[in-house]
Amino acid sequence: MSLSLALRLALRDWRAGELRLLLAALLLAVGAVTAVSLFVDRLQRALVAESATLLGADRVIDASRAVPQRFRDLAAARGLVVADVVRFPSMASSDATGRSRLASVKAVTPGYPLRGTLRVADEPFGRGQRTDGLPARGEVWLDSRLFPALGVKVGDAVAVGYAEFTVAAVLASEPDRGGGFLEFAPRLLMRAEDIPATRVIQPGSRIRYRLQVAGSADGLDSFHDAIRNELAPSYRWRDVRSANARIDNALERAESFLLLGGLLTVLLAGVAVALSARRYARRHYDHVAVLKTLGATPREVQWGYTLVLLIIGVAGALAGLILGGLAHLGIIAALHGFLPVSLPLPGARPIWVGLMTGFICVLAFGLPPLLALRGVSPMRVIRRDLAPSAASAMTYGSAAAGGLALLVWYSGNASLTAWALAGATVTVSVFAGLALLLLRGGRALGMQAGSVWRLALAGLHRRHRENVGQIVIFGVAVMLLLIMLLVRTALVDEWQARIPEHAPNHFVLNVAPAEVAPVEALLKARAGYDGRMFPMIRGRIAAVNGVDAGAWQRQRREPHDQPGEPRDGPGGRGRPGIRRERNLTFLADLPDNNVVVEGKWWSASAAPSASLEQDYAAALGLAPGDSLTFDVGGLPLTATVTNTRRVDWDSLQPNFFIILSPGALDGQAATYMTSFYLPPERRPFLNELLSRHPTVSVIDVEQIIAHLRRIIVRVAQAVELMLALVLCAGLLVLIASIQSSRDSRLKELALLRALGGTRRLITGALVAEFAALGAFAGIVAVVGAEITTFTLNRFVFELPTSLHPDIWPVGPLFGLLMVAAVGYLGTRRLVRTPPATALREV
Amino acid sequence: MSGCILRATAVVKRVPTTEGDLTILEGIDLAVDAGAQVAVVGESGSGKTTLLSILAGLDLPTSGDVWLDGDEITALDEEQRARVRARSVGFVFQSFQLIDSLTALENVMLPLELRGQRQAREDALGFLERVGLSARTTHYPLQLSGGEQQRVAIARAFASGPKVLFADEPTGNLDTATGGKVADLLFELNREAGTTLMLVTHDAALAGRCAEVITLDAGRMQAPREAAP
Repeated sequence: MSLSLALRLALRDWRAGELRLLLAALLLAVGAVTAVSLFVDRLQRALVAESATLLGADRVIDASRAVPQRFRDLAAARGLVVADVVRFPSMASSDATGRSRLASVKAVTPGYPLRGTLRVADEPFGRGQRTDGLPARGEVWLDSRLFPALGVKVGDAVAVGYAEFTVAAVLASEPDRGGGFLEFAPRLLMRAEDIPATRVIQPGSRIRYRLQVAGSADGLDSFHDAIRNELAPSYRWRDVRSANARIDNALERAESFLLLGGLLTVLLAGVAVALSARRYARRHYDHVAVLKTLGATPREVQWGYTLVLLIIGVAGALAGLILGGLAHLGIIAALHGFLPVSLPLPGARPIWVGLMTGFICVLAFGLPPLLALRGVSPMRVIRRDLAPSAASAMTYGSAAAGGLALLVWYSGNASLTAWALAGATVTVSVFAGLALLLLRGGRALGMQAGSVWRLALAGLHRRHRENVGQIVIFGVAVMLLLIMLLVRTALVDEWQARIPEHAPNHFVLNVAPAEVAPVEALLKARAGYDGRMFPMIRGRIAAVNGVDAGAWQRQRREPHDQPGEPRDGPGGRGRPGIRRERNLTFLADLPDNNVVVEGKWWSASAAPSASLEQDYAAALGLAPGDSLTFDVGGLPLTATVTNTRRVDWDSLQPNFFIILSPGALDGQAATYMTSFYLPPERRPFLNELLSRHPTVSVIDVEQIIAHLRRIIVRVAQAVELMLALVLCAGLLVLIASIQSSRDSRLKELALLRALGGTRRLITGALVAEFAALGAFAGIVAVVGAEITTFTLNRFVFELPTSLHPDIWPVGPLFGLLMVAAVGYLGTRRLVRTPPATALREV
Repeated sequence: MSGCILRATAVVKRVPTTEGDLTILEGIDLAVDAGAQVAVVGESGSGKTTLLSILAGLDLPTSGDVWLDGDEITALDEEQRARVRARSVGFVFQSFQLIDSLTALENVMLPLELRGQRQAREDALGFLERVGLSARTTHYPLQLSGGEQQRVAIARAFASGPKVLFADEPTGNLDTATGGKVADLLFELNREAGTTLMLVTHDAALAGRCAEVITLDAGRMQAPREAAP
């Protein structure tokens, strides 16, 4: 069959309305996937950009020595912009007041920060205003806390090393402040060009160098490739993810979820394409039989209809791309106000994803039913009951393989795909069995019901093979929706629980034992504090089981410490070096957010005991039963490891790798720390706290929390949007499925009408039949959703699992209403068609 | 005589059923000369339609050979049989077998298009005119009466210039008057084109218009007889 004849066949079929459903299914499949991909792509780019502000750049290179000029040249050659940041601790002092204070100096070059903005305030602890500027040469901007500590105000002079500077502004916030404990001294921001005048940089000084880099993704990758071999061991390449584990978690889960949603959309759309292709094929059995009596060969039939499908595929994919593009603009418009002002432009991938979805949908889901047309016997013109033998296992095998390839390619995540598919396979088999049972039960029930329901349930039973199929399809659609709903709820809840309202946004450190009571009292009175003071003392592990720690670690072939800045304290998971000095604490009770995973927590009267964070213990090869000797301020202290703990590093609570039992540190001079929530408008309280307790340090993590919260809100919105799209795809499947059952209902309805069934009775029976079908599908869906959600939460999202009795009525009710409504709308015309016309059509 | 165009030798058709094989045709031998008009008659279930399907290459016998227009179609695969049908065979069915989604004209064009004929449209229009339907070319089958539908089917059957025309109860779905007109048309066109006609019917009057009548009884051929003049 020639292309032109195939084109004419396609056109004639289109005119007859035969291809509309197939085209609509394709259009929506491609449209939905393209819209989601485009939106997700742009949102992801926006999220990454947003997160990049936490880094102050797209990428940074951290080092303990100056970054070579070569790196800057290489970056510039790739169109990237760079800025230098040098950080070091130094005393800042005021000649006027005679006071001095250790400051964490940050010296920057123009351009800093490459991402995000600095905020400055007019007075200490005031609200900051965005600024694009930097301190001029000879000027510094000071953290609010330095003002009371040094007794200065804006306009006064402060000295750093040998140089004197004018205090030009209050530094309210900087994007890349970080929450680490390394820098809990207050910030002093100056220009890198002024460093030589201070003469503070001497051999052996503790200085951190950082090169900020920003620009195109390609440029960044190329830059990274160019310097990759020169990085280790002195330079460390960091991106948003390696810089912030907490954001990484949220982003990764959001991506997983959006992918899952996209996957489901593809699956549902594929099912819709398959259903409409099957209907198209069925309606063409006679058509093909006639063609064959007219001399069309099986091969011509096969190629002819493959061509028709490809024509539809091209048309559907192209129109779908346009629809998807428009839809994603609609989504962006609808979310206007929630989204970043300007989303970055998308890459090419969403377009490819859309096109490939179209073609693979056509080939994997649409083609197999059409290939069966090749086998239609020309004898069908004489004996209409001759249907072609079902497509071979190979046809469906290739369809499954194509579908699988699409899913894996689309998700780029084999394990997620495997879980989804395994779940789907088990679910479909279980569904089929359950559906049969329900149909049998329904039939028995129907015998006792009124005429409408009897007719409906008898109808269900009569076409039970077809109906098992439909219940499975509806069930899967409803189940997927429920899953999305459940997983979404779990994800969003979990994210919100991670950063609850009034999460502690300030840490207080360095509280002397004598100050504990007054500081607690002050916090209680002014900030509603109800937290806990943790004693803290610096110490390191000197020996393990009597063997020197260094020797012991070498024996065990420890993984290397990565070069660069180790992270410590809340939220940071440092890679442990065994002899590194750490914050030790001693506690009687297990802190919140900690769970003992091995061994037991100590009782009050135990011998000196130690509790280790599980990953830390595992990395060092330590386990309960090991004896650790600590060096605490030069004094040895031996304790036995009695347990390991799982710590929720994301909790924004003080967390410790090592906790000792209360008696162990007796007689050692500890300081105390705690965290508390301070509403932003009460920040001036910090001034009072620091004036009354000048040796106490306060770390403000409000900015980080606000940032995280913004990201989470945005991600949650994206997730909700996904849910709506999956709902659309589910509806499409419903419509396709009801349409495909339309033909077999037509004859029956016509007969009923001819036999004198009133329109009312028939409509009632039809709606009742669909309602029962929907309710059965809903029951089946709830069972499937619970099983799948359990599996997904447990193995993919690593969220807590539980049953959800609140959705148990939702499934059947939703199924009932949706299927009855869509079923009624889809078959309304059948009821209105005069019986004579209907009978002739059969 | 222009020679034998259709020949069947020892054709047997059996189909498996739950109670063992059912014999539908048994020992059919026949030869039809080009241009002949042959009626196959018999009671319902006597195997008429099965015989027609096998002779036309729509179905295969359990054993026996069938030669059609120089090809042993029982030795061909479906692909090759389809080509023989395209080249040599036309059909008219009791249930018309028009394609609902195509107009009358497009239905007639279909066999011409399948052969890649360039003048498909003009030729089809000519045949529709010949069957008296030039006013209804753009109508769909469901918009036509039964008689009109069958006339479209006849136009389609002759459009491809077949050597053998197989007609299965062509008037079976029509009332007597309409059926008569359709039959007149069929025989008229057949005569003009010199086509061989194989006609299955249980209508004795229709059978009587053929020169030769084959009677089937429970799958076996009764002695051939010449139709009454």
